Amino acid sequence: MAGPLGQRVGRRAAPSAGASSAERHEPVSPGSGPDAAPLLEVSDLRVRFRSRDGMVVNAVQGISFTVEPGQTLAIIGESGSGKTVSAYALMGLLPRTAQVSGSIRFRGVEIVALGEKALQDHRGRNVAMVFQNPERSLNPTMQIGDQITEAVRQHLPLGRRQAADRAVELLRMVRIPAPERRCHEYPHQLSGGMRQRVVIAIALACEPQLLIADEATTALDVTTQAQIMELLLDLQRELGTALLMISHDLALAASYAEEVLVMYAGQVVERASATDLFARVRMPYTRALIDAVPRADQESHVLLPVIGGRPPDLSAVMPGCSFAPRCPDAQQDCRQSAPPLEEHEIGHWWACWHPCGTERPADA
Amino acid sequence: MPEVTPEATPLTAAAGTGPALAAGGDLLLDVRHLVQEFVLRDYGGAKGGVLQAVSDVSFELRAGETLGIVGETGSGKSTLARSVIQAPPPKQGAVIFQGQDLVGLSPRAMKPVRRELQMVFQDPFTSLDPKWTVSRIVGEPLTAYGLGSRRERRERVNSLLELVGLDPADYGRRQPRELSGGQAQRVAIARALVLEPKLILCDEPVSSLDVLVQAQVLNLLEKLRSELGLSYLFIAHDLALVKQVSDRVAVMYLGKLCEIGPVRDIYRQPLHPYTLALLTSIPSAGPSARKREARTVIRGELPSPLDPPSSCRFRTRCPRAQERCAAEAPQLRAVGSEGHLVACHFPLSGREGTSAGSGTSADTGAQGEPAAIKR
Amino acid sequence: MAVPVADALSPAPPAGDVAAPGRRSRTRGLLRTPEITIPAAVLLLLLFFCFVWPHIYPVPPPTGGSILDSGLPMWSPGHIFGTDNVGNDIMSRILYGGQVSFEVAAAVQAIGLVIGGALGVIAGYFGGPVDSVLMRVLDVFIAFPSLVLILAIVDSLGQSELNVIYALAAFSIPAFARVSRAATLRLRDQPFVVAARLSSVKSWRIISGHLVPNMMPQLLTFSLLGAAVVIILEGALDFLGYGIPDPAPSWGKMIANGQTMLSVRPSLVIVPSIFLFVTVICLNLLGDGLRARWEVR
Repeated sequence: MAGPLGQRVGRRAAPSAGASSAERHEPVSPGSGPDAAPLLEVSDLRVRFRSRDGMVVNAVQGISFTVEPGQTLAIIGESGSGKTVSAYALMGLLPRTAQVSGSIRFRGVEIVALGEKALQDHRGRNVAMVFQNPERSLNPTMQIGDQITEAVRQHLPLGRRQAADRAVELLRMVRIPAPERRCHEYPHQLSGGMRQRVVIAIALACEPQLLIADEATTALDVTTQAQIMELLLDLQRELGTALLMISHDLALAASYAEEVLVMYAGQVVERASATDLFARVRMPYTRALIDAVPRADQESHVLLPVIGGRPPDLSAVMPGCSFAPRCPDAQQDCRQSAPPLEEHEIGHWWACWHPCGTERPADA
Repeated sequence: MPEVTPEATPLTAAAGTGPALAAGGDLLLDVRHLVQEFVLRDYGGAKGGVLQAVSDVSFELRAGETLGIVGETGSGKSTLARSVIQAPPPKQGAVIFQGQDLVGLSPRAMKPVRRELQMVFQDPFTSLDPKWTVSRIVGEPLTAYGLGSRRERRERVNSLLELVGLDPADYGRRQPRELSGGQAQRVAIARALVLEPKLILCDEPVSSLDVLVQAQVLNLLEKLRSELGLSYLFIAHDLALVKQVSDRVAVMYLGKLCEIGPVRDIYRQPLHPYTLALLTSIPSAGPSARKREARTVIRGELPSPLDPPSSCRFRTRCPRAQERCAAEAPQLRAVGSEGHLVACHFPLSGREGTSAGSGTSADTGAQGEPAAIKR
Repeated sequence: MAVPVADALSPAPPAGDVAAPGRRSRTRGLLRTPEITIPAAVLLLLLFFCFVWPHIYPVPPPTGGSILDSGLPMWSPGHIFGTDNVGNDIMSRILYGGQVSFEVAAAVQAIGLVIGGALGVIAGYFGGPVDSVLMRVLDVFIAFPSLVLILAIVDSLGQSELNVIYALAAFSIPAFARVSRAATLRLRDQPFVVAARLSSVKSWRIISGHLVPNMMPQLLTFSLLGAAVVIILEGALDFLGYGIPDPAPSWGKMIANGQTMLSVRPSLVIVPSIFLFVTVICLNLLGDGLRARWEVR
């Protein structure tokens, strides 16, 4: 089908992870049964920082989730929610001032408290990360091709010539035109979107099974963002990679992810499939997030429904639900004890004593 | 000390209550053929090239209305704002504010004008002096103009702080470092208001804020607009956001104006292919979220602003481009409804430019089939 | 709470709505950083001994000692560091010599800060021909090998502590001008300065109210690091015989005079060297520590 701009408007094939590379990966699709081993299992992850003045910040307060092979999962939260810290914990990138406890198992292997040598092996080979600012991720004094080959040779025993070929192949995979020529260019010669593609190429150099995109499109224009997201999803389907998107943009997550986790003050407060999350939102915080985003189908000059207050201070662990001070539906029991995250409906977890019960009225 | 926040309001439908001027009052700002260039210098100071950041842009802004300017990187929207306030003045063109052309005015002549025309910047932390206290920051314009006694100034500062939802007793003595992003932006807004301006230029005022805070600040801007009868020139890259606050919207690409018109028309019936691409690139949430299958993905990369495509600058990425687009530069002309102008030789007709912004799963597949347009 | 690691490892996500800690914890934090408190304490101690102690305690005079007392070794009663070959008490010469070092350093840096700083701000803020002219003039000074020019100045003006100060200030001024000009250029286009101009704030008020206060941490740090250099230069001048005139003591001169007796009585060189070394190190550490602290904010 072709749309009015002549663009490709095909239907995306149902994600079947690893279909094209069945030799390398187990041919599992998400949710294919209880015997499908999860790629990543996070149990009760906690991260605390001790700052120079002696203040303690409880950045992550016991989160648990799993990522299946080939799945697209999004973690949504505002700043201070702990989403980025969690992502860094998965990569073993947290500084020494961080105290990490809990368990992160990648294909059964425990990541927490792994030595630096083993972590270097883990990063790039198993898990790779794409950061927000491509300018920061690329070395401005090195040619693009060299940066990719460096990443390739880190993990794969390839010679210089083979690695260079692989670099060209990777650039082609991320749809950079004239890849042989681009290999010899420097980052400043490329646009923001192109640079981010190069960063993705580097991340995928050794075909990791999990790709973490930490606000990977936040610094890009909206049209470029759409291009990059399409690319990521196509690559995901081709390579069978699982994708973990970290973002503050709820709409982005809804549009591209299969499952969404919402984090607030270091905890997961709601988890559901993308459609469920919006059709049947339960957590008042999630609802507040959804309501606060301006939508193109609203009238102009209308005040956005928004709650007041600010996220809680992470250096103090308060009794009760961390969202209670701001929650419009908060009641006495909310302030006394913290609701646990439980699967109240199939595939839909939330941590709330008084969730929003009704379905959202369908937009007119 | 809790801040007095003017939010937690339910959805209100009434717009423009209070002393807000009905949009469409007198002509407040008339920008004509604005051109802004930057000379790029190579190492050693030699002239490297000329970047034409704003290229022959014209538009009008009437008292009481909000004009949103949307564009991506390299569109020139921020440069446009800076040119309007003459910081620095544009290379060519006229900026007629309340009947007076600002271009070429001496600093002394600009002084009375600056009272009426103020700006709010993107990053609140760099737009506030880190060593000053909030009260001093907000009061600086009053001191510069020598208005009122010290006590009167202090009272005015305090009343403005309350107006933006900050308790003066608590926040007056704070420094920007002791404020959150949202609070700092409120201070910047208070400072912009202290001289009672008529027009405020908002250069991406909420882009660096979190979602909930963003909504709070947007509500504040809206409330101030209706209470004080302000007009805004609102610059943003986020189309949905711009729609929230604007009466009219202008879309820019590589320094040129592509389309301008009433906000409803632009979103429901975009005429310029670029506008449609922007609209359909927005990911949307909600149960009516557009399915990914129907999303437009624009082709190609942004050309270098140093050497933009000749004539129509969008033609290298536009699937509707034809020979005429390379030969002849399209001019802004009225097409269809009143006040809706587009610069395109082959604008989208009503059928193809479907209700991309209305949230329905736009059926952009079948050609020539009119999409359901509500209302 | 803004997570520290986000700043270090990747650009911060959109600003969270939580504020940074307030004033009280800042001062307490300052007192807890040993890289600042220890050098500061040592310097204060040295200043106290050089300037205050001689007024409290009857220290023997630094000059006019009797030959009878000459050559006393270290730890002699009444002369902790012993006496030199002319009979002067070394400890006293250290204290009075230290006065010279500190006075010269303070004066030179003060002149540099005020005059050089002002020139740099003017050049940076107004730009254009003013900038070009000022900078070229200062470049002339910087281009000269410093020691040669200083020697020439002192030689023509005559030897005295004041002239040494003038000569060293000839280098301190361009150095400060460079730093303040760079800082001005960096601050001039910051939105808060633009906002002030948009409110028709006069230029001199922008400079004094916005630019200078925001430059001061950087300039003060530069002063401290520069003070160390000045002390060394002053010592070098004395060593070469161009510094303050005899018989007034200074650390550099003590080192110069003592080197002839290095094999016999090394303490004549070692003691002033140690004081010089400790002072310079502390100034450097203090300057570095303050810079690190101000950069974090």
